Amino acid sequence: MQTNSKQKRSSNINLSKMRKAFSFKPLALGVASVLLSACSGGREEAVVFKSVDECVDALPSMAQKCETAYRGALTEAAKTAPKYNTRNDCEYEFGNNQCQTINNSGNSIFMPLMAGYMMGNLLAPRPYYQPMFTSSSRYSSYRNNWVGADGRNFGDSRRNKLNVSSGAFDKKPAVTRTMSRGGFGSSVRAKASWGSRSSGKGWGG
Amino acid sequence: MARDYGFHFHTMHGQAYWDETAYYQFTLEQIERDLESPTEEIHQMCLHVVDVVSKSEERLSQFAIPSDYWQAIADSWQAKEPSLYSRLDFVYDGKSPAKLLENNADTPTSLYESGFWQWLWLENNVDNNKLSKRADQFNSLQEKLVNRFKVIADYYGINYLHFACCKDTDEDRGTVQYLQDCAKEAGIGDYFVHIEDIGLGENGDLTDLQDQVISHCFKLYPWEFMQREEFGPHALKANTAWIEPIWKTILSNKALLPVLWQEFKGHPNLLPAFFESDMASMNAFSNVKKWVKKPLYSREGANIDILENGKMSLSSSGPYGEEGFIYQAHTPLPKFADNYTLIGSWLVDDEAAGISVREDKSAITQDLSRYMPHIIL
Repeated sequence: MQTNSKQKRSSNINLSKMRKAFSFKPLALGVASVLLSACSGGREEAVVFKSVDECVDALPSMAQKCETAYRGALTEAAKTAPKYNTRNDCEYEFGNNQCQTINNSGNSIFMPLMAGYMMGNLLAPRPYYQPMFTSSSRYSSYRNNWVGADGRNFGDSRRNKLNVSSGAFDKKPAVTRTMSRGGFGSSVRAKASWGSRSSGKGWGG
Repeated sequence: MARDYGFHFHTMHGQAYWDETAYYQFTLEQIERDLESPTEEIHQMCLHVVDVVSKSEERLSQFAIPSDYWQAIADSWQAKEPSLYSRLDFVYDGKSPAKLLENNADTPTSLYESGFWQWLWLENNVDNNKLSKRADQFNSLQEKLVNRFKVIADYYGINYLHFACCKDTDEDRGTVQYLQDCAKEAGIGDYFVHIEDIGLGENGDLTDLQDQVISHCFKLYPWEFMQREEFGPHALKANTAWIEPIWKTILSNKALLPVLWQEFKGHPNLLPAFFESDMASMNAFSNVKKWVKKPLYSREGANIDILENGKMSLSSSGPYGEEGFIYQAHTPLPKFADNYTLIGSWLVDDEAAGISVREDKSAITQDLSRYMPHIIL
């Protein structure tokens, strides 16, 4: 398509990532010709260490980076690891003696112990890191696997070299204990019960 | 007939009905002079109103905004918390100045149809030689949204964002999914939570269903609802950054219209508008025979009455109105091939980003309106 400086539309937009099967009315377009395959996304190498010593043994010239990443991962683990109300709930997922207590404004909550830390981009001044957990519980789908704070399963925990998607080192949301839900949405319930809206319609304008 | 009005209603196979073969055609001058420039200008006028209202307790009361939120609105405005997008709805017949009907500044939808399908429709029709190679479209919406997400991520220093809308609404979920895709395109990770599932964490944080703290959230849910709900105070206390920011409460409110008129009386793109309490000024407008009565808070044509010589003539029913009403001078929607036409003009932050055309069989545009593509030729 021709492009010129006066053009009022974008000369290109990402089609493959935006295509939806939603039931929007407008659209019986003959668009097969522009179906594009989804991007595969970048992948990178990562290494998991169970301790600082293990890291230093493998990377003697990087002792400082091993230490920094370990401390960073511990801090990150405290923030982003899953939190449980009881030790039982935590151990059910991660196994006996795999959980620790955190005292938070007088309440005890439980989270899994950091079992290792994953590092990537090792040659950079500040390599990426993320805390890693594992489970010995036979009730858990994470048993003997590496798992990230957000529940992403990285596979067999006997392996220490991983090939991960580029998002694996992204900062994760902090995790806390939720005390109640349902404090938003009452206006919609009230207005919806009034009755004239067709289902499937939203509250936008 | 449509040609006489300056823009052209086309049917490609003699079918005057919605499908991909019907569209609206504009000239470049119509787009730039009549829609793009006024959109950006009105947006600046609206921001002026935000500045005035956010500093006036009298105005904030008049807007029926609960007083608990006044300080947060003023702070959010002073901090210039970044906004993502808005849609101005215009009555435009192709030759007279476009008239602003309302500003959907907080929760606009029909984004996907505009930014994505409309663009694709043109691309396909040009490629298949059904439309001239010179055919263009006023539509940089998706590109601008992606870029705006990058700016917002930089502003807050984030690499992920929560997204939220209500349950059981395909349209809202679709709009939010589209915005999630735009954010991903901008390199931002996305988490989704339904508004009804949002939780309150032990330190006062808001949480999603995985107990993850919602630190930054795009919500397709009106501020005026949130401000009247149990967790409303926590929306402020939790230190969650919201997109749209809370200062948009002032713009998504119909009280904007009379204040715009007071501040910019006689502006060619504004319709006279007054508060209920100011009937005297309204009646002094003897050349306006019809007034439209709109609730302060309403969406998509709900609860709108048309008042003709003091009598109701046409009304749409709906669940709004308890917070009060405003009156806006009636201006008829242009009619092409039995359909009334409304222009939605998009802004991403403060830049005009494209238009969408909606049609309806009724003179009050309801939420079942058909969406139509457009071209510039």
